[in-house]
Parts: sequence; C-alpha cells; structure tokens
Amino acid sequence: MRSALGIEIGLAVLMLIVFLVGLVMPAGDKRRVGVLTAIGLVILLGISWRAEAGAEIFNGAFVQDELALFAKRLFIVATLIGVLASLPLRAVAFARRATEYYVAILASLLGMLVLGSARDLVLLFVAFELMSIPLYYLAGFLKREPEAVEAALKFFLVGTVSSAVLIYGLSFLYGIAGTTDIRGVATAMTTGHPMLLLGMLLALGGLGFKIAAFPFHMWVPDTYEAASTPFVAWLSVAPKAAGFIVIFRLYLEGMGDRVLFWVPAATGLAAVTIIGGNLMAIPQQNIKRLLAYSGVAHIGYMLVGFAAVSANGVAMMLFYLVAYLFGNMGAFLVVEAVAQAEGSEGIAAYRGLAQRSPILALSMLLFLLSLGGIPFVAGFWAKLYVFWAAAEQGLYWLVLLGAVLTVVALFYYLLVAKRMYIDAPDRRDPIPVAPLLSFCIFVCVLGVVLAGIYPRPLVIAALRAASPLF
Amino acid sequence: MPLGLSSFPVLSIITWSPFVGALLIMFLARRNALLVRWLAVASTAVSLILTLVIYVAYDREAAGFQFYEDVPLVAPLGINYQLGIDGMSLLMLLLTSIIIFAGAWASWTVKVRSQEFYALLLVLVTGVYGVFVSLDLFVLFLFYEIAVLPMYLLIGIWGSSGEVRPQGIFGWAFGRTGVGTKEYAAMKLTLYLLFGSAFILVGILALYVANDSSSFSFLEMELGQFDPRLQSWVFLAFYVGFGILAGIWPLHTWSPDGHASAPTAVSMLHAGVLMKLGAYGVVRLGMGLLPDATLQWSWLVGTIACINIVYGAFSAMAQTDLKYVIAYSSVSHMGVVMLGAATLTEVGLNGSVYQMFAHGIMTGLFFALVGLVYEKAHSREIFKMGGFARMMPGIATAFTIAGLSSLGLPATAGFVAELLTFLGAWQSSYSWWLIPAVGGAYLTAIYVLRVTKQIFWGPPSPDPHFQNLPDARGPEWAALWILVFVIVLFGVWPSLALAPVDTATMPLLNRLWVLQ
Repeated sequence: MRSALGIEIGLAVLMLIVFLVGLVMPAGDKRRVGVLTAIGLVILLGISWRAEAGAEIFNGAFVQDELALFAKRLFIVATLIGVLASLPLRAVAFARRATEYYVAILASLLGMLVLGSARDLVLLFVAFELMSIPLYYLAGFLKREPEAVEAALKFFLVGTVSSAVLIYGLSFLYGIAGTTDIRGVATAMTTGHPMLLLGMLLALGGLGFKIAAFPFHMWVPDTYEAASTPFVAWLSVAPKAAGFIVIFRLYLEGMGDRVLFWVPAATGLAAVTIIGGNLMAIPQQNIKRLLAYSGVAHIGYMLVGFAAVSANGVAMMLFYLVAYLFGNMGAFLVVEAVAQAEGSEGIAAYRGLAQRSPILALSMLLFLLSLGGIPFVAGFWAKLYVFWAAAEQGLYWLVLLGAVLTVVALFYYLLVAKRMYIDAPDRRDPIPVAPLLSFCIFVCVLGVVLAGIYPRPLVIAALRAASPLF
Repeated sequence: MPLGLSSFPVLSIITWSPFVGALLIMFLARRNALLVRWLAVASTAVSLILTLVIYVAYDREAAGFQFYEDVPLVAPLGINYQLGIDGMSLLMLLLTSIIIFAGAWASWTVKVRSQEFYALLLVLVTGVYGVFVSLDLFVLFLFYEIAVLPMYLLIGIWGSSGEVRPQGIFGWAFGRTGVGTKEYAAMKLTLYLLFGSAFILVGILALYVANDSSSFSFLEMELGQFDPRLQSWVFLAFYVGFGILAGIWPLHTWSPDGHASAPTAVSMLHAGVLMKLGAYGVVRLGMGLLPDATLQWSWLVGTIACINIVYGAFSAMAQTDLKYVIAYSSVSHMGVVMLGAATLTEVGLNGSVYQMFAHGIMTGLFFALVGLVYEKAHSREIFKMGGFARMMPGIATAFTIAGLSSLGLPATAGFVAELLTFLGAWQSSYSWWLIPAVGGAYLTAIYVLRVTKQIFWGPPSPDPHFQNLPDARGPEWAALWILVFVIVLFGVWPSLALAPVDTATMPLLNRLWVLQ
C-alpha cells in the first residue's frame, strides 16, 4: 500500500511541513516558504520517477497505472514551474500570506494526484473537489483588487454549479450500475439503459466547465485576466490536464466496449471548441484574455485526440498536454515578466520587444509558434499527432477543420509577433526579468524546443501511458 | 555515378549551405554589414557552384532519381531524411540557385537590420531547396513551412508601405486591428499560404494512413495504388494547398499584394521561386502519386489555368503601379505553367516545367529592375515616369529583354516555354484551351510593350525629380548580367533544360497513359 500511495503521502507530509514552517516564520520573511515548497516538489518528482506502475489498492478504487504516473509527473512539473515563478511576486499582500498561497497550491495538487489514480466515482468526485476548492481561493488571492474578487466569485459560482452537474450525472451512473466502481459502470453499460447515457452526458457537461470546453468556457477569460499571472499559468495547465484524466477514466474505461457510442458527442464538442476559442481570441487586446481564448481552442484540439477513441488518440493527447504545458506556461511567464516591467497586460506593451530584450522576445515567439503548431517546436508534433490519430479513424473533416482554424490561430499569434518584431519600440531600455522567472522561462523554452526537435522519447512515454486504457 | 558524387551528400550541402550562412551571419557578423553581405554571397555561391556541378553530372541516360541520400529520422513512423533529384527537380534547383545568388547581390542596398534580413532570406532559401530535393513527404512538408514563415517578417519589416490597398475581408479585419499596409500584405500572404499548408498536411496524412507500408517515402507511395475515391479528394487538397502558392485563380489575391510590398530580393525569390514550389507540388505530388485523380481533374486544372492567363493579363493591364504590373503578370504566367501540366502531353508538360524556369528567371529580373528603378527614381507610378533610357541605358536594355521574354519573343527562354505549352494544349483533349492561352500571350505583349515604352523609351517626363538619374552601378550589375545571360542562353539553346526535364516527365506521363 505504501508503494502505491508514496507520492500522495509524500505530498501530504510536505504540505504539513510547509504549513508548520510558515507558522513559525517571521511575517516579513515568507519567501523561504516558497523555496521550501519548490525543494519539496523536486523531491516529490524524484519519488514519482521511482514509483512503479501496476499497484491497485482499496479494491481497485485507487490505481497506480502508467497513465496515473504520467499524469502525476505532469502535474508536479507544472506545479513546480508555477511555484518557482511565484517566488519573485512582490505584492504586499503576497509577502504576508505566502504560506497560505503555497499550502493551497499543494492542496490542489494533492487533489490532482488522487484524481490521476481514482477509478471510483466517489473518490473521483472527492478528489475533484479537493483540487477545485483551493483554486477558487487562489483566484481571489489578491483580495484588495476588486477585479480579483469578482473573478474569483464568478469562478467559484461556475465551478460549484459544474460540480453539482457532475455529481448529479455521477449519481445516475451509481443508481443504474449499483456500484461506484468505474469498471462496474462499464459492465452496466452493456444493458444500454438510457439513464446511464443521461448520466454520462451530465457528467460531460460538468467536466466541460472544468476543462473550459466551449460553450462552458465563460469563466476563463475573466478569471485569467484578474488573477496573478504565475498562478494563471499553472491554472491554465494543471487542472485542465486533471480534467482530461477524469474524462479518460470515465469515458474510455467507464464505457467498456460501447465506447464508440461516444464519438459524435466528442467530435461535436471538439469542433465547436476549436471554432469558438479561435474566433473569440481574434479581437482581444489584453494578452491574458487572448491566451485564455487560445487555451480554449487548445482544449478543442486535445478533444480531437479524444474523439479518435484509440490508444493512439489518448497518447497523442497526453503528448499535447506536455507541449501545451511548456508552451502555455512559458507564454504566461513572459507576460508576467513584461507586466512587471511595463505595468500593462495589453498587447501594445509588446511593441518593439525584439529590439529591447531580444531573448525575451525570441522566447515568446517560440512559445507562440509552439501554440500555433509550427515545425521544430513541440506544438507542431502535438497538433500533428492528434490530427494523425483522428485521421486513422477516418475523421478527415475534423482534421481539416482543425488545420484550417490553426491558420486563424496563427493570425492572432502573428499579431503579437508583429508587435514584438516589426513595430518600433517606444523605449529602448531592456526589460528587467527576475532571475527565477527567467530560469522558469528558460525551462519552458528548453521543453518546447527539445520536444520539438526530438519528440520520440515523449511519444513513447505517452504511448505507454495510454496503453492501460485499451 | 560520374564524378564520384555517389558517396558525397551533395544535395544536403546545397540545401543547408545557405542555412549555415544564416547561422554564421547571426553569430559572427554582428555590426559588420559588409561581412554579412559577403557571407550571404559566399554561402549562396557554394549552392550555385554545386548545383552547376550536379547539373553536368546528372546522368541523362539513366534518368530517375539520382544523388540519392537516405537517413532514418523517425524510423518507427516511417519518416526518413530522403533526398534525390530527377530532371525536373534539377532544373528547379538550378533556378533557385541562380535567383538566390542574384538576389543576394540585389539586396546590397538593404541597410536597416541587414543582419537579420540576410539570415531570414537564407533560411527561406534552405526551405525552398529542401522542398525540391525531398523524396519524403513529411520532410518535404517541414521544408515547405520553413520556406513560408520567414516571409512574414521579411515583408513585415523590410517591405514598402503605402502602395497596397487593403480590400475584402482581410481589409476589414485589418482596419479593426489598425496595422499598416505592409503588415497587411505580409499577414495576408502568410495566412493564405498556411491555409494551403493545412490542406497539404491533411492530404499527406491521408496518403500515409492509406499506404500499407506506413512510410512517407515518395518512391514507395509511387509504387502503390491508392483507392480512386481517396485519390480524387486528396488531389483536390493538394491542388488547393499547393495551388495557393502557385497563384491559381481565385486563390491568388495574396500574390500581387505580397509581391508589391516585399523588398526586392524577396519579390525576386517569391515570384521567381516560391510560386514554382506550388506548381512543382501539384505536378510532383498531385500528378505523380495520384494518376487516376489526375485524369479525372485535368479539365478543372486546365480551365482554371486559362482563367489565370486571361484574368492575370487583364489585371496587369489595368495597373498603374509598376510592381503590380509585374505581380499580375506572374499570375498570368503561372497560368501557363498549370495549363502545360493539365494538357497531360509530353510537349505540354515539358513546356510547363520550362515555363517554371523561364518565368522564374524573367520575373526575378523584372523585380530586380523595378527595385533599381524605385531606388533611383523613388517612384513606381508608370505614368509619371518617362524617357529613362537616356539616363539608365543598362537598366532599360535589361528591362526590355525581360519584357520580350515575357511576351514570348523567339531567342528568349519565354518563347520556348510558351510554344511548347501551346503545342501541348493543341494536342490535348481540350484543344479550345489554345484560344485563351494565345489570347493571353497577345495581351501580355500589349501591357509589356506599353509599360516599356512609357517608362524607358518614350518622351522624357517633365517632372524635375526625374532629370538626373544614375544607371545601375557596382554590385547592382551582378544580378542583371546573370539573369539576362540565362534568359538568352536558355532561349537559344533550349535542350539545356529540355534534355533533363524530358527524363522526368516521360515516366510520369507513361503511368498516366497506361490508365487511359
């Protein structure tokens, strides 16, 4: 049991340590709490690499398979980058309450880790809430700023409603299947009871809110705009990845051999999400809102891999999640760097960045190209692979739709590139970037470029992770 | 293989030499503008010299793909770095080498951020070479993207504003975003071409999935037989995808705006070489891999080509901006290329490939000249200028030669190409194509002669700005001499190009004729 729960136990211990150390630290010196959190996460990452797949405990409710391990490493890496990038945050409110901030992040991470292994409806829902509730709190962390409070409230209301819809759907599944084991649901599916499908549909609605699929995405741009950027960078990646893991468990393991039944809904959701996200991103003038909508579009692309309903499709989505982690977090971190120096999150703040801070501009260009799916950066392979998986299932129309809308995405990414490279700068002085922040940006650049030039090891890992589902 | 080239990766060196030049420029030549230029010239000279070497070494008796290189890239997925050229690629390689070498000289006057300019230009050329030599469709697609993307920055940063009028849906979108007109042209061009590459990618993936051996190799796919229904739509995907770059009507609208606002070397390279990538893609991938679909859709390709010829010529006639005239003439001439391919006859297809080459060279020359005229007279308005031949006899002569080639005068490269294409049209199953094609040639004569007479040979302009204009000087001559020489050489000695091309077109057509 200890081997299966090693990562979660380690994290719980870390949470306790961070909490206690935070209590005894003097008020002005909370920065070290963050450093402690980061070190703990590095150790946790090491533990996750030593963990072995295959354990099942609590009668199979908690399963440590390849998929769970892959997902957990992804969550930990994302959190680590998020925490490191949060360290240079200087707001007064932040310095005083840093302990709460890091403990909340760790609590949410714990939810994600359990979620990665949950194969039981109750455990799944509990883990889901454990992940979500700290997020509402963190979104409103800068409570002196009215937008932050409003955004957090909106996020909270939408989030709880979606949880309610999700649990409503899950209750139907339990009612008909008579068991909370997801494999039991799969067995019950063979009866073709309509209530089971209704339950699945409701659950998809609830999860749609969490992963911000169109048309359940309304909270995304407002929340992203108001919350602190390093947190948003993390929020835009880790909980979404967790949402996808739930979708895999529920809709691939939980559907059994009736899995193809689900294809029309998934393709439809993918199509509208791609179209909606990309089109709404075009008129944005605030870069965080732009990235928010582009993130919605990326969820759509990942759903293309899901719509393929194959081991390849899932593997390619996992690859996409990794590419998205580095590309999207990196872009948000550059936003943070520019916002700290310029005090603006408008796209206009990027005028002539290439001549002021060439390396920062090049990093942003790489992230944008990766998000846009251009060769030699990670995003290209990500898009290519999900399209590939869909093409294998004959979903050529979806592939073509996705490919064409990629061009729309490039339109707004190129508008940012244009500001950086073509426009003349207002000022000449370079933008100062905190060392830790530039380290995080560098890590993201490394991830984007390495996965772009040599994607093979990651593809193999993703394929192995997807294998237990089929 | 002669000259002991079999073990020497000559195609890779040709392809990557400009890229190495770009890297050297970015890292070594900071703040040394002269070194930047010489590095650019040197790295393109390496490609040019090696291209000439393999042009001589290419075995015309053996035909087929030669100078073969094959390195596994992603072996489990069937992606290989597989290069090789046949006669058609050989001619395209020669074209690219000549144009970029001339283009490096023609950019001598770029002063603003010249380091980045040359680096991007050279990266772009690597992409172009790569498309012409790749035998692996996936690698070909990667190179295609490399060839398209630098264009955005090249036009956006170094282009000329003010001469482009945003129109249509793009104009509306740009009115809202408030960006300048060269950015408008750059964005429109990039998005059109990436839109095209989306279709290409889907087509390539479809062929890969349908191919039993799960390989992207062109040679392996060529052996297989694809289902005719799949062929049918994949051909259309390739036709739309590559056709956008080739400037087929009605997807050509990016091209005049893009060419008109691009800096000189980029216009030369773009109209001269990049548009040929499109035509090459349709012929190599579309016709080469999908014979059933080629027979099915040749009527469509040919008919749209006729529209291109006539529409492009009429549009060119209506322009008052010199660069737009040349840009629309490209649309018209690319119609000749596509028409030649659609005839599915030996002369026609040879004429098509010959026209790719001839048009590349003469458009390159045209844009180099327009650049020179603009630099000296600071005007591109045709009807304001006049009588320039007295002051710039060299430029005037070169322009006239390019013009004569454009309208297909014997002893120029343009003549051979058009003659062959028209013969092909006559022999094809749709001989009525000959009427718009010849009509287009006639219209070309009208606008080319009118422009030449107005600017160079007519009465002098009363405008005092145009009183003392210098002729070309120094490095500027290099581009003109090279290109004029090639036009005349290939005009009087057509077998220079036709001999290798014929070795490539015959096997392709044989596969089609078997089906008929």
